[in-house]
Parts: sequence; structure tokens; C-alpha cells
Amino acid sequence: MDKTTDAATSTGLSAAEKDLLTRVGYDSSRARSATAVLVNHDLRYADSQVDGVEIMSIQDALMRYDWVQNLMFNLIAPDENELLRQAAELLNDPIGHFVYVHDGAKVQLPVQSFTLMELPQGRQFTHNITVIGKDAEVEMISGAAVPQNVQAGHHVSIEETYLREGARCRTLSIEQWGSNMLVDSYSRSEIGPGAEAISNQIMLAPLKRHLSDTKTWVHADASSNDQAIIFAPEGTSRVFEGETYLTAPGARSESVARMVSAGGSIINRALLVGQASGTNGFLGCDGLKLSDTGEILAVPALQAESAEAQLSHEASVGMIDAEKLAYLMASGLSEDRARDLIVQGFLHLKDEYVPEGMRAQVTDMIAAAKTGGM
Amino acid sequence: MADPMLELDNVTVSVGDKTILRNIDLKVNSGEVHVLLGPNGSGKSSILSAIMGLEPFEVTEGDIRYRGQNIGELEIDARARLGLGMAFQRPPSLDGVTVAEFANALDARGSLDEEAGKLNMAGFLDRDLIVGFSGGEIKRWEVLKLFLQAPDFLLFDEPESGVDLEHIAAVGAAVNKLVSEPAKDGSARAALLITHTGLILEHVNADHGHILSAGQIIHSGPPKALFEHIQKAGYVAPAA
Repeated sequence: MDKTTDAATSTGLSAAEKDLLTRVGYDSSRARSATAVLVNHDLRYADSQVDGVEIMSIQDALMRYDWVQNLMFNLIAPDENELLRQAAELLNDPIGHFVYVHDGAKVQLPVQSFTLMELPQGRQFTHNITVIGKDAEVEMISGAAVPQNVQAGHHVSIEETYLREGARCRTLSIEQWGSNMLVDSYSRSEIGPGAEAISNQIMLAPLKRHLSDTKTWVHADASSNDQAIIFAPEGTSRVFEGETYLTAPGARSESVARMVSAGGSIINRALLVGQASGTNGFLGCDGLKLSDTGEILAVPALQAESAEAQLSHEASVGMIDAEKLAYLMASGLSEDRARDLIVQGFLHLKDEYVPEGMRAQVTDMIAAAKTGGM
Repeated sequence: MADPMLELDNVTVSVGDKTILRNIDLKVNSGEVHVLLGPNGSGKSSILSAIMGLEPFEVTEGDIRYRGQNIGELEIDARARLGLGMAFQRPPSLDGVTVAEFANALDARGSLDEEAGKLNMAGFLDRDLIVGFSGGEIKRWEVLKLFLQAPDFLLFDEPESGVDLEHIAAVGAAVNKLVSEPAKDGSARAALLITHTGLILEHVNADHGHILSAGQIIHSGPPKALFEHIQKAGYVAPAA
């Protein structure tokens, strides 16, 4: 039964918090099927408006479903590094949310989940688990934000995502951290047989250092398509380490990162492994440098473990093409406007990747990031 | 008598150490359409590029004046905002920027549907700019762009090259329509058009023709008569 008419329940969020989250995709109207908001060290709000979607704290999930404990630290080992060891030690009091879309559920409205960090110089460890059941379909929007007074702090997140056989999941994630923050994000996804995952990540706001460590296993006849829009203004360092494993025949993946440096540093190391015959994968790493400072390092790597794995990659890094700039300026656009248009085009802010409602916001983020106004 | 709309006064244009155009004198008055005829490599496109301020063309002598103002030191966009607009011969492709987004940037989204329909480009609004366009589609797009931009002075760089013979008439008609619409101040627009083949002259109402050879204007006269002469004698000045 659709219960969206009861959506006007109190979320416990202040107007300022809602405003902050709105910038990273939050919608307080009835346009979401389920919502979870984690503030500092508490899951402030978790509620589902529809049958077939459960959303709750990770503690509640561990108590309610005994199988959830087997999913936690299942795709990522707690002894991989010191940060993860610290996270594992918090298991008695884990912070995070659990999203469970039941088998066969066709969820019409997106599920949304957000993390807010309101303590300057705070430390935040989150561990989220998502399970999309067999043949279920859902769209998910997630975001992370800090208020303007939080410039420094450390956020560590672990995400474990399971798409069961035939499931379809489309995700959009947007982050907006403080300009002097450290962020370490570990994401692990298992795409079950015949399942389809489409992921769009938007990482534009300045921060001191972001380390993103991602691993995805794509099983038989499943597909994974992810697009990342990455921006690094001066003073921002972003490091991406990604691995995709095509584990069984028919597994497909396409991963494209579009990176713009306006004086910051972006390092993107992506490994695509074809482990079975009949697998097909593509890695794309395109970089655009807007100034002579900063760096972009794109390192796509392919590893074929089967003679019939078809893997390919493309990588490019360059400055804004002077001919394109002149062409746009010859139509009367200012140099700044022409540059913005070229950058937006480069980042492919299309409907299929960024919902229309979010696009204007993203272009504003690019403009603000360029001027250091965020 | 009023100033010409566009005036090139003894203009010499260089690229690096190489002189491309020498001592060009040209006056285009409001309401006039001038045509430059010349072989490949004669410097036709270089004149338009120099007027528009495109790199790497540098005016090393003389002045380019638009409505009496020396525009030699102005940036490209400033020239465009003064009223100059150019249909490029080989525009770059702009991956990720759609026709509609570009029209938005020009504040011309309102007129896009109608103008695109007239040029049989209604299905192009969500296409990336000049990505995968055929030669003819590029020419139609460049004309459509000028409808959106609405400049007072129009520069056309070989608008018929790459266009199927049966579509040259349509491009010519669109050029005539662009030129016939009034400038922002209500006066008549003007145009300078380059052609290598001369085929567009069958469809464009041109007033003055000029033969450009080896970087110099060697003769001026009625455009159709000049084209007939060129067909017989090549790009040389007619005997006096």
C-alpha cells in the first residue's frame, strides 16, 4: 500500500538542516519513498513511506534480521588498513543506515539517505548496508554535507551494497564537505546475476583530501555503469582507487570519470579485471585542466584473466581547447561563460546522469568552486 | 556621408612571421552584401578571422573599424557584442553542449524552436553541438546560430561548401533572410560572404564582388559578372 499521504511526519530536522541537505539532493516533499538522515553520530530520522522498502539504523537491522550480520564486513575486510580496523572496533555501536528493498518491489519514488556532520573538527565513522532484493527496482539518492561553519574534520564511510539476482538500482550521490576536511570512503558492491547497477557520483565541492576506495564485483549477465564527475579547485586533493571484477560470463561494465582540476590534484587509478569469457568492460578517464597548477593523473589498467574477455580504456588529459573557446566567444559569450559551458559539456551534465532538478545546482557548484566561494 | 558599417583600411594580416594579407581596403555600408571570391589559400578566411579577432591572425598594419570604432584591440566576444557575427567554415565540435543549451547561453531559447524548424533542424535541439553533423548540417547550423545570435553585421565563411546542390538554395535563402532583417537600431544589416565555388551567388542577393588573390584584393565589381569572368579566365583581374 502506498502510504505517501502520511509523509508529513516530523523528521526532527531543522529548517537550516533541510536547506543544507536540499543542496545535495534531499527532498522533504512527498517525492521520496523512504528517507534516512544521519546527523553526527545518530540516525536522526529513518522512515519508509511504501511497502517493500525498509530503512533503519544498522543497529536495528542487526537486531531485526540475523542475516544482516553476515553482510557486514563481508565485502570489505576490517584488517585492510588501520582506519578500517578502527571502524570494526566500533561494531558494538555501529553508526549508519540499512536499506532493504524487498524481492520484486518496484519502487516508484527514490529512496534518499544523507549524512550530516555538524561538529567542527568532528570525527565521523559510518557503515551503511544496502540490499536490493531479487528483481526489485529502485532509484536511490544519497548525499553528504556540512554546515558552513564546519571546515575541518574527518569523515570515514563504509558502504556495502548487494544487488540480488535481476535487481535494478540507479544511484545518484552528491557530496559537499568542508574545505579543510579529510574524507575516506570505502565502497564495495556486489552486482548479482542479471542485475543492473547505474551509479552517478558528483564530487565538486572543495575539501582538503578525499580518498575513495571502491571495489565492484559484477556477476553473470549483470551490468555496472558508473559515471563520476570530479572537480578539484586549488587546495583540494582527490585520490580514487577503483577495481571492477567481471567475474562470470556476460558480465559488463562501463566506468567513466570526468575530472576537472582548477589548481587541485586528482589521481584516478582504475583497474578492470575480466575474469571470465564473454565479459565486456570499458574504462574512461578524461581530465580537463583549467590552470597550470595542480595535476591530473589518470591510470586506467586492464587485466584479462580469460582469453575471451573484451576490455578497453580511453584516457585523456588536456587544457580547454582555445578553438572551442574562440568559437563560443565569437557568438558573444564572455570568456568565463564560454569556459563554463565547455566545462559543463565536458562533465556531461545530462538528464540521464543528473536529474534536471539537480543540474542547475551542480552548475552553480562548479561556478562557486571555481571562485572558491563554496 | 555616414561611416561605412565595416571598414578595412590598408590592413595587413600576419600569422607569426608570415604575411597572409597585404594592404586590404574594403568598405561595406549598411544594407550591402559583399562577396569575396578567390582560390584556396588566397586568404579569404583569414580576412574574416582577422575581422572577428581570431587567433593566430594578427593585424600588423592598418585599422579595422566597425561603425567608426577601431576594433583592433577588442577581444572576440567584445566584437561579437558590438554586432559582428560569423558563420564558421569548419567550426569545432563541442561535446556535451547541446544546441538547446547553447541557445540558452545566448538567451535565445525562445526563438530556437521556430528558427530550427525553418532550417529543418528541429530534431537537433538535444544533439551535442556540431558532433557528428554532416557537412550540410554544419552549414545549416551556422546559419541557425546567426539567427539566434542576431548580429547586425554577418560574416559567412563559405556557406555552401559541403552542401548538396539541392540544398544550396535553402542556405542561400536563409542568408538572404538574415541579411534582410533589420539591425538592432533599425538600420539595415550588412554582410561579407566568402565563396570558393561561387555557387551561392545564384541564390544570394549580393551587391559587390571582390577577387582576392595571393593576399590582395586585385579587382572589384558586380559579383555575378566577376564570377562569370572567373569561370572563363580564372582568379585574375579582368583586362581594363
